[in-house]
Amino acid sequence: MAETLFKRWNRELTMAGAGILLLLPLLGIQPKTYLTLTIAGLAMGMLLFLVASGVSIIFGLMDVLNFAHGALFAWGAYVGFTVFQLLMKWVEADSILQNLAVFLMAMVAAMVTVAILGIILERVVVRRVYGNHLFQILITFGATIVLVELIRVFWGPNDEVMTVPRTFSGNWDIMDVIVSKYRIICIFMGSMVYGIIQLILKKTKLGTIIRAGVEDRDMVQAMGHNIYLLFTGVFAVGAGLAALGGVAMSVFSLQVYPDMGGTYLLFAFIVVIIGGLGSVTGSLVGALIVGLSYNYVAYLVPWAAAGVNVLIMIIILLIRPTGLFQAGK
Amino acid sequence: MAEATPAHFHMEEKRRQYRSGSFYLKLCVVALFLLVPFLFPSFKTVDLAVQIIIFGALVASFDILLGYTGILSFGHGMFFGMGAYCMAFLIGKYGMPSYTHLVMGFVVAAAASAVLALLISFLTLRVKAIFFAMITLAIAELAIVLATKLSGLTGGEDGISFSTPGIFSVSFSMGDFMGIEITGRIITYYFILLSCLGLFLAMLRFTRSPLGRILQAIRDNAQRAEALGNKTFVYQSISITFGCVIAALIGCLYAMWMAYVNPESTLGVMTIMLDVLLMVIIGGMGTLYGGFIGAAFLKITQTFLPDLQHLAKDLFPQALLLHNILERWLLLFGILFILVVIFFPKGVIGSIKGNKQ
Repeated sequence: MAETLFKRWNRELTMAGAGILLLLPLLGIQPKTYLTLTIAGLAMGMLLFLVASGVSIIFGLMDVLNFAHGALFAWGAYVGFTVFQLLMKWVEADSILQNLAVFLMAMVAAMVTVAILGIILERVVVRRVYGNHLFQILITFGATIVLVELIRVFWGPNDEVMTVPRTFSGNWDIMDVIVSKYRIICIFMGSMVYGIIQLILKKTKLGTIIRAGVEDRDMVQAMGHNIYLLFTGVFAVGAGLAALGGVAMSVFSLQVYPDMGGTYLLFAFIVVIIGGLGSVTGSLVGALIVGLSYNYVAYLVPWAAAGVNVLIMIIILLIRPTGLFQAGK
Repeated sequence: MAEATPAHFHMEEKRRQYRSGSFYLKLCVVALFLLVPFLFPSFKTVDLAVQIIIFGALVASFDILLGYTGILSFGHGMFFGMGAYCMAFLIGKYGMPSYTHLVMGFVVAAAASAVLALLISFLTLRVKAIFFAMITLAIAELAIVLATKLSGLTGGEDGISFSTPGIFSVSFSMGDFMGIEITGRIITYYFILLSCLGLFLAMLRFTRSPLGRILQAIRDNAQRAEALGNKTFVYQSISITFGCVIAALIGCLYAMWMAYVNPESTLGVMTIMLDVLLMVIIGGMGTLYGGFIGAAFLKITQTFLPDLQHLAKDLFPQALLLHNILERWLLLFGILFILVVIFFPKGVIGSIKGNKQ
């Protein structure tokens, strides 16, 4: 009886459970603060999604766990930082158009540079160790060392301050709820990226091939598609997403530093373990869970903030070892 | 052959062992380390020797996981640090420098690391082996954050400094022997050397036991090993726990030598783990001995790198590029790391062994 009930109402029960969990912090937080924290959490979640989705897609299609993703993320941040430095006038100008232009230029420059870096990485290093997880992790870890040291060679070993475009900083005050402008931009950007990825995966022929590749690589190759070209392309896109996340995150946290990739790579791993390796929707849900819970807990019990994500990850591993969503969904 | 019984093979193997050159080479290396305090009494060389011994043993224990079980753990540094912190707690912050507390430090470190290693392996081995790398990385980072944030408990970033008991303390002196004053430091040196030798022999025995053979079978072909009736999960858990407990014990020894622990120098993923990974790759996975070669190479280079930089500055004052590259020595090691993984996946020892066969 209970079993059929669970089966029939599975979806609704999950949604209700998630809703209750989301509202649970209201017990300890004032509603207005809660809204501010929720927006901060959503923004952080969206930024984490940008990093985690790359890890997830690359693993889903190529079966490669890319430890160098964090270093690519840092490279993106530094390229964005350079563009900001070159066009400082536009960054500091009091016009939305100029600010937006420099922000977009930073993103495009970062994505292109890091995508090229990703192609080189895939062709020169990762390609040699397909099919061997242990060596993949080792070799991408080695690539991380090299990439991070190259950042130190080119940009110096110190932390640098990232300037926020003038019109992006500051807050809106909507009915006494304080909303930071840049967080809204982040949420918007993350949703757009998610929408574009889903559109490509679900509606285009390329997306169909990629999804088929996640399910059965050999079959796709047998059907006459060049899977290795696809691998390189997906690796480049994943690297580009990491770069996008790097630029957005550096403006969010107001700084760039050579080791910044490590911290966010860790978040990305926790996200993909929660959401399920290989699933884009899973990455989004996992990222939002991590972002929201981090913000609530950081407000309620500051010292426990670092532990709560690992705790959630362990709980998910106990009840659903493969993550919330299936690969390829 | 009529006398081809297992016992006969065993004797034959033993006889061959005492005849082989590598056996005497190993004896010579041990003898060299025994003589270090008398041959090179300066603090720098003795410290270098301790670092090589400790990291060599640590890398060997890491190799049990990586080379013999096929599992990559980024939490090995955490277990090392756990041992160091247990020692610091028991003879420093929450105890006192006495022999009882010293022994208790080892026992507590072994017990705590065994429990944590079992927990982690139960959590992660149910899924895929690659999850192990991600999850241990997350837990190791969490450990660093906790050690830094809970400063009331762990001393925070400042760490804990303490003094070692009795004959191990710095102020202890036993008088001269062969013109060298036998201080507490030298006794500690021998204690660490002999302990690490003991731990290393234990690991060697472990990998050559039937259990070790099964582990290698699981590493090479997990499905086949399971089909033959071996419970892969149980064996892998045992191996992980064994490696981690040894790492914790080595951490205790390290704390005894440094008489100081802090999060960065004992727990750090990018400090300890990076070194360990470089050492195990350069020395060779799945060899145990490779750890010492990797450790010796890396530690000697790190110690004499500043001298090399000065030399380069004196010899070629104009070559700025050379200076920059020497400043960023990790870049060179990173490239070396990738090249070794691609072209010599067996490392130094593995390649020599492979050529012999």
